Amino acid sequence: MKRTRFSFLRALLLAVFVVFPTAILAQTPQATPPPPAAPRSGSFPKPAERVLPNGLRVIVVPRSNTPLASAALLIKNGGEVDPPELAGLADMTATLLTKGTTTRNASQIAQEVESLGGSLDSGARFDSSTVSVGVMSSKIGPAMTILADVVRRPAFAAEEIERLRLQYTDDITLAMGQPGSIARFVAARVVFGDSPYGHPISGTVQSLARISRDDIVKLHERFYRPDNAILVIGGDISSVNGFEMATRHFGDWKKPATPLPTLTAGMPAESKAGRVVVIDKPDAGQAAVYLARTGIKRKDTDFFRGIVTNSVLSGYSGRLNQEIRIKRGLSYGAGSTLDARRDVGPFLASAQTKNESGAQVAELLVGEINRLVTAPPADVELTPRKAVLIGNFSRNLETVTGLVNQVGLLAVYGLGLDEIDRYIANVQAITTADVQKFAGTKLDAKTSNIIIVGNAKAFLPALEKQFKDIEVIRVDQLDLNTALLRKK
Amino acid sequence: MFANRFRFLLLACFVLSAAFSVSAQTKMPQMVFKDRTLPNGLRVLSAVDHSSPTVAIQVWYHVGSKDDPQSRSGFAHLFEHIMFKSTKNMKSEMMDRLTEDVGGFNNAFTADDVTVYYEVVPSNYLETLIWAEADRLSGLNVDDPNFKSERDVVKEEFRQGVLAPPYGMFEYLLQQKSFSTHPYKRPGIGSIEDLDASTLKDVQEFHSTYYRPDNATFVIVGDFDQQQLDAWVDKYLQPIVKPNRPLPRVQVKEPARTAELRSTEYGRNDLPAVGLTYLIPRQADSDSEPLRIAETILSQGESSRLYRALVYEQQIAAEANASAEMREDQSLFVLTAILAGGKKPEDAERSLLSEIKKLQDQPVTSAELEKAKNQLITDQLRQRETSNGKALALGEAAVLLGDPARVNTDLARLQAVTAADVQRVMKKYFTDSNRLVLYFLPEASKKTAGENKQELRKEEN
Repeated sequence: MKRTRFSFLRALLLAVFVVFPTAILAQTPQATPPPPAAPRSGSFPKPAERVLPNGLRVIVVPRSNTPLASAALLIKNGGEVDPPELAGLADMTATLLTKGTTTRNASQIAQEVESLGGSLDSGARFDSSTVSVGVMSSKIGPAMTILADVVRRPAFAAEEIERLRLQYTDDITLAMGQPGSIARFVAARVVFGDSPYGHPISGTVQSLARISRDDIVKLHERFYRPDNAILVIGGDISSVNGFEMATRHFGDWKKPATPLPTLTAGMPAESKAGRVVVIDKPDAGQAAVYLARTGIKRKDTDFFRGIVTNSVLSGYSGRLNQEIRIKRGLSYGAGSTLDARRDVGPFLASAQTKNESGAQVAELLVGEINRLVTAPPADVELTPRKAVLIGNFSRNLETVTGLVNQVGLLAVYGLGLDEIDRYIANVQAITTADVQKFAGTKLDAKTSNIIIVGNAKAFLPALEKQFKDIEVIRVDQLDLNTALLRKK
Repeated sequence: MFANRFRFLLLACFVLSAAFSVSAQTKMPQMVFKDRTLPNGLRVLSAVDHSSPTVAIQVWYHVGSKDDPQSRSGFAHLFEHIMFKSTKNMKSEMMDRLTEDVGGFNNAFTADDVTVYYEVVPSNYLETLIWAEADRLSGLNVDDPNFKSERDVVKEEFRQGVLAPPYGMFEYLLQQKSFSTHPYKRPGIGSIEDLDASTLKDVQEFHSTYYRPDNATFVIVGDFDQQQLDAWVDKYLQPIVKPNRPLPRVQVKEPARTAELRSTEYGRNDLPAVGLTYLIPRQADSDSEPLRIAETILSQGESSRLYRALVYEQQIAAEANASAEMREDQSLFVLTAILAGGKKPEDAERSLLSEIKKLQDQPVTSAELEKAKNQLITDQLRQRETSNGKALALGEAAVLLGDPARVNTDLARLQAVTAADVQRVMKKYFTDSNRLVLYFLPEASKKTAGENKQELRKEEN
């Protein structure tokens, strides 16, 4: 049995406190803020893990300050395994798990879980699929029974497949009415083309129509197996009870004789540098403006350089929001995400603005990426942006759900759980030169793409002054099924 | 002098401590808090919790969108944004320097009845934040360029929240049409025209009218020493002067509805939506608990009645929701459905009404009642996992329910609700004459729906 001691929270919270704001020296007590007192410390959970004989990795993270418990079963594959014609297959499969088993129908599952006061959720993202349940800790026993049943014995009833297909189709229709979600779909296609991260995770109207029960059953057989899964249990429960529950519900889950599926998504196709794509939606109430490009892998040695660089750009006082919202009032919020995945994931910088300001915001997004190289953040700017990252990280671990998610993500990517111990030191070690180098080599604006979804008439003339070769696609001609983006 | 005042104030506060069982096995952790009112009227609620070395600071001002000045809808919310600009001793965005830059965060929200500012910071920054909140309560010092730039931000918030999402305008119209007289009829986000009409002078007037110690409640939860906190409160909050002017309060009462109200509006949505609203009593009313249970039975989770009937079985709706929107003066029970592809709004309306009728005709089963209570308890436990969540619960009890002790007694009130109570409130409030019906249809369907609309107008007359 392998045991991991978690003393990370102490280190992490102490480090939050050594980040002081710019010098504060009081003349009179009222005119300037009083300085911080000495930092205080807290108390921390001690997680444990073991691997069952069938290959299932079980991690228990006890924390008893609130009578809540939560459990998540993660499969180490998600939307990246969808066949090109069947976008949405992994997500539909995961979602269908809770819609009926060989002994419980969808209504009985909902009824049982909700009677416990809890919720049972399932779905796929890229790189993983998850089923999770959260309840008062006194109800974790019956909740685990249902969790195991839906993972191991789903019925995939034809009626439920049709129902979900309709719901997904309606959801896509809804998403296609919003400039922000259209822009995210288009950005993925522009950056990843026809490679595995290029399609919408929940499919398109056309791909959903092609998914059969057989496809779903095969995906489940291939990927839902104990040696491709991780069970994380957290909250007001002892590790002894956690392991006992894991063994009771998952110990006799048979490992198939077939070899494990490979864990690569396939690298994105070389993205064509500097595309500018406008989706013309004449009735859009606002324009969504995105800068999109490839980012990094989760296991890249650049990971911490990447997230610190992203923190300089993003967050309330990040450079994007400073320039676009705080200085110019052009948006309610601007920010960026560096989504590091098993293979190279996307980097997105974005803001929504009135249609008339679409081109100006695009210029500002590009300008801020360039400025990371020409005017990299000195310590006085970098130190607070690191504190933001560390503070967010610590707060995410304050809730049982957050703790379980964080531990689950590390496990899915095959990273040691002790990375949490090192998180703060890793963030603190990043320098101005690191940010400058990362931005110059990994986020170069020249090889990035611009996507604007909105009323093109309002911003196209200005945009044409900034960019050549703008591709304009009317929203009713948009096809998200291929990298071509245009209906034939 | 200092010590005396301190001791005197200790006598004026009370501490609650008790534990009661909320279900067979789960004990709801009780919040032990201190309640202190300073001579200038400012109230301070504090609860020590050392589970993580952070602290949440919230300031609840008893002023909200219902207090927007005449022809200035959206002003209370715009003002909330302005509170992050220059104050007596702080430069614009200095609040971000004191929170975000040290690994904490800040935010604020404006509701119909209250405006709440909050920060979560490493606990050794507590004194700094009390100073900062005292400073912006004492006075603003905003210039015109800062004011106009922030007003533009709020206009983008309007576009992002109301104009860009397909059902943003639906929600806006539902609130607007649900009140005939009470200022709740002006949705808090306001309108572009009213925002454009507002001036820096309005800002100063609003601050001096509503941002005063006797209209503020500080809620502090987390890792601190009670005696030290009390000393900081004495130092930074006690000196703030209470003005002599009276504090204006909305006196308007929303009249009861006398006949069903119907209307049809058009938007950017592809799928039609239907909304029903009913006037229900103010939040502090004892009927709020059975209404909360009814909301949960109708709407929470996939075993809820609306999901079962409209989404799962009849497949009339892509989404169906019920919400008891609690407000200080007059609450609203809202039922909505976004239709599934190819379905008619008339069918969704009929199904929603039929679910209401079932709750009126038959008492809910004890299993369903127990399920709703378990769901509500679990929700509360989740909210109270963090210091900020605990502070929100305490602030709401004090400011909106009028008694901070309700943070510990509300679950017992929920537990006491019977099936007969639920049936009674369903019969009492869900009457034909207390109903508003709004159809929100795709713009594209306007031509074909023209006749339909005329018919509805006739019914209205």
